[in-house]
Amino acid sequence: MHRVLTTCCFCACGCNLYLEVEDGKVVGVIPSKQHPIARGNLCVKGWNIFEFVHHKDRLRYPLIRKNGRLEEANWEDALGLIARRLSEIKEKHGPESLGVFSSAKCTNEENYLLMKFTRTVLKTNNIDHCARLCHSPSVIGLGNAFGSSAMTNSIAELAGAEVILVTGSNTTEQHPQIARFIFDALERKAKLIVVDPRRIALSKVANVYLQPRLGTDIIWLNGMMKIIMEEGLHDDSFVSMRTENFQAFTKHLEQFDLEQVESICGIPLEGLRQAARMYASVKRAVIIYSMGITQHVSGTDNVQSIANLAMLTGHVEQEFTGVGPLRGQNNVQGACDMGALPTTLSGYQNVADAGVRKKFERVWKCELPVAPGMTGTDMVHGALDKKIRAMFIMGENPVLSHPDVKTTRNAIERLDFLAVSDIFLTETAELADVVLPAASFAEKDGTFTSTERRVQRVRQAIPPIGSCKADWQIICELSSRMAYLMDYESPAEIMEEIAMLTPIYGGIYHGRLENRWGLFWPCPSRDHPGTPFLHKGSFARGKGHFECVDYRPPAEIPDDEYPFYLTTGRIYQHWHTGSISRRITMLSRDEPDAFVEMNPVDGRRLGVRDGKPVRVISRRGEITVGARLTEAVPEKMVFIPFHFHEAPANILTHDKCDPIARIPEFKVCAVRLEKVQ
Amino acid sequence: MPDELILNKEHLTSFLRKIAREHRLIAPVKNRYGDTLFEEVSCLDDISLDLESRPAMPPTHFLLPQDETLFRYKREDGQYYFSEVLPEVSTVLFGLRSCDLWAIFLLDMVFEQDFKDPFYLNRRSNTILINNPCLEPMKNCFCKSAGSGPFLTEGYDLQFTDLGDRFLVEIGRPKGKALVEKWDYFFVPATNKDKNKQYEAILEAESRFQQVVDLNTASLRFINNEVDETLWEELATRCQGCGACTYVCPTCHCFNIADRPISETEGERIRTKDSCALPGFTRLAGGHNPRQKRSQRIRRRFYHKLAFAKEKYHRSSCVGCGRCVEVCFGHVDMIRVVETICEKAEKRSSAASLQLGEILVNTGLISSEELKTALEKQATTGKPLGTQFIDDGLLTRDEIGRALWHQMNIPSTAETAD
Repeated sequence: MHRVLTTCCFCACGCNLYLEVEDGKVVGVIPSKQHPIARGNLCVKGWNIFEFVHHKDRLRYPLIRKNGRLEEANWEDALGLIARRLSEIKEKHGPESLGVFSSAKCTNEENYLLMKFTRTVLKTNNIDHCARLCHSPSVIGLGNAFGSSAMTNSIAELAGAEVILVTGSNTTEQHPQIARFIFDALERKAKLIVVDPRRIALSKVANVYLQPRLGTDIIWLNGMMKIIMEEGLHDDSFVSMRTENFQAFTKHLEQFDLEQVESICGIPLEGLRQAARMYASVKRAVIIYSMGITQHVSGTDNVQSIANLAMLTGHVEQEFTGVGPLRGQNNVQGACDMGALPTTLSGYQNVADAGVRKKFERVWKCELPVAPGMTGTDMVHGALDKKIRAMFIMGENPVLSHPDVKTTRNAIERLDFLAVSDIFLTETAELADVVLPAASFAEKDGTFTSTERRVQRVRQAIPPIGSCKADWQIICELSSRMAYLMDYESPAEIMEEIAMLTPIYGGIYHGRLENRWGLFWPCPSRDHPGTPFLHKGSFARGKGHFECVDYRPPAEIPDDEYPFYLTTGRIYQHWHTGSISRRITMLSRDEPDAFVEMNPVDGRRLGVRDGKPVRVISRRGEITVGARLTEAVPEKMVFIPFHFHEAPANILTHDKCDPIARIPEFKVCAVRLEKVQ
Repeated sequence: MPDELILNKEHLTSFLRKIAREHRLIAPVKNRYGDTLFEEVSCLDDISLDLESRPAMPPTHFLLPQDETLFRYKREDGQYYFSEVLPEVSTVLFGLRSCDLWAIFLLDMVFEQDFKDPFYLNRRSNTILINNPCLEPMKNCFCKSAGSGPFLTEGYDLQFTDLGDRFLVEIGRPKGKALVEKWDYFFVPATNKDKNKQYEAILEAESRFQQVVDLNTASLRFINNEVDETLWEELATRCQGCGACTYVCPTCHCFNIADRPISETEGERIRTKDSCALPGFTRLAGGHNPRQKRSQRIRRRFYHKLAFAKEKYHRSSCVGCGRCVEVCFGHVDMIRVVETICEKAEKRSSAASLQLGEILVNTGLISSEELKTALEKQATTGKPLGTQFIDDGLLTRDEIGRALWHQMNIPSTAETAD
């Protein structure tokens, strides 16, 4: 038996772990003790990560649809068919009719190659990935405010904070290692503020817990800032030296009525006052947020509002402070960094900038498309009215992960051609014309970038199973078949090209990642040690920008017909659409079925007992799930995790999006509940 | 051949190389990333043996793998065919710690007493255990409090005590003896001087513990129903249910059994590590879960370690290795829990040598006044307490040694493991 150190493929904490390999099979896992985040432990998903690799459902050979059925095929035919169909459709309907989903589960090298393929071969900027569904508002909001969208500070700095404000993040379940640093901080007498519509585990150890109504974050954020201003707790010198647009902001804030905190948010003003004082009166305070903030029609405004709060109190540009958007997927940070986005090339270099395009064109030796691409949500909508006619999807499952499953499925089915590369036959792959079997994280080399911007190695533990290929090899072969030669010996060679073209990754080479626990970007040159916290002494954009933000209610709120709020999310044991985690014995043993969390009072009203089936109905559709009665949710609000294909929460959600970031409002919609007789 | 021998340190690699040629050798190795793990060692040349740090996972990981095939099945012509998979690799575990060895004795009892588990026992009977007692307890170690170390008088096949430039090698069981006899040219008989040096090392190590954990009182409190039950609710707010405390624990042994299809016609019955920290562990077929709440699960784990094991095996099944202390996300660990249970939160680290004093007073070797005087003297001389007694001519090494062995109280059931 031997062991191979690699990076976990579940969340973006970036734990390093050893895969135990015996006779070419992955048979176990051990966390690294020295790794600064893993620190000798993993979450329950990490501890069981080895099992899916050899699952019998793994795709082992390419599939081509013949007479309506997916049938076994060889690589030659499968790649040939994709190349031919993409070329035909591009020829006939123009490059703008093609769309690409890259994957936050894949490596940086693969994301880079796919975005290169999209722009050089398909000649479109229509590339996006699931960051659209989780942190696109952070990319835009923090980009506007600070000049960079990533976590401003490193995870370990949390342990040194005096006050931590957690909002819209169920940290113990979704980023367990980050919660561990929060507990470390609490050990050192730090104070914790939790603001979340659900009474999450962290709320029980919080010094202040506030429970706002869904989708009312701007109210309490503005309220908190107004209190801070009124009580003179803001950082005058920081604001005047380091930020801009402050006067307009204060003027705007003056009009805010603190009454709304109680009337709209449902938070007692006194509680908010306590939180405001707590957060503003110390030097080292951190804000942690996640999808509870971003997945709203006002997602970008929410993020901007959080940035306002941090700037107002001078809690940025310093160690042990900052704003931490916790990224979901193992490499969602990296997929954004690599430019798997419709408007930026790698390193957030704007496609619209002719100088930038010229730089890439010189290396890529071809002309790049200028028109901005479509976002993921818009591509799905575009497929409905035939603006998008063909898609290549790498390692994503939009049929379950996008809102309003019926519409999404309908859109995907309307495509003239769909190719999917994945490790399992997902709900999306089932609709494809060609399915390519991809290698899992245990079968390939590369890098992932964790939520704290730490770029780390992924190391091959076993050869690809069946006839699987790593996605970077798939892209190379496909590209070469479409008259654009991609010839890389290894992911290390791809990373050399990334470093050359991407200033923030300028000093990141595989060799340099080997004998340390990765490097934090920005790392502009080979001798640069990396940057654990951003904006040291100065924001990336120069001065921090205050934005005036107004409350906008959610797109759909409960009424007489649909009287309950529904919010969706994830649970500890499972991962996204469940294609991996539900195939792991221990995880599916612990959480086998879909459920709806509802308050016991509502349970009594409906006559539903714990564990009994309930029909949940929205304007889009209905699902039947078991009731889980818990006081974690307030009355008149229910929570459903979206992991379960047999009862997809996203049948119920709507596809109204934030106007700027185009993120759907997964966190709020209206439903009706019925007892199943 | 005498039972106590000397192996010159420069011959250690040569000896291990011989072993590795005939057995699967597993030893603690520090890898290039700085992690120390028990690794299979086939070539002694490019590895760095690490006898200083605590390997991240216990060696019981090799006796109870995370994922193990019990048998394979095949369906052919409407019939099922089964083939059992019994592990039969002759293994030498080198560089064990007394705590981990104790854990193996406990597992022996679990897998042998009520139901004989062929998979465990096959591995076990093919395993030779070489103990390396710790001379320097680590920060969170408390084997001394747990009565499982730092030295053992029996149970091992071989015990290697580090005496600086050489190892004092003690033969415990026939399998150990056979190993030494086979390559007897590496060894010379130990002298009295070597023995004395070992005693000194024992005394020194005994005095260096930073953690004193009163497992006994905690066990009694549990058994007598004196534990404040609100404790579990409080711990449940910090536990995240990762299961790591059970995965890294050398005495945890719970498993789940499942059938895993390999193809349409073939499959295997597997057992995978399970954990009482997980919600599905006690869920019954009808869906009812007697330990639905996290607080109930935490209580159960500590109850099993401290009370259940004590009643069934006459000792707690915590061996004081300290691993759970270092991995828990929310600081729900044995040291804290025992301290809280005992309502004696004050650390007695500086008074570690006091415990030796207590033992000596309890066994009647010295009086309380003599202890007091020795402690005062020790404060100025800085000598370990035992050495202070010897230098003052109050006790001999043998007397102290006997008192300590007596305290360790190894039960006879460990004998049955052979």
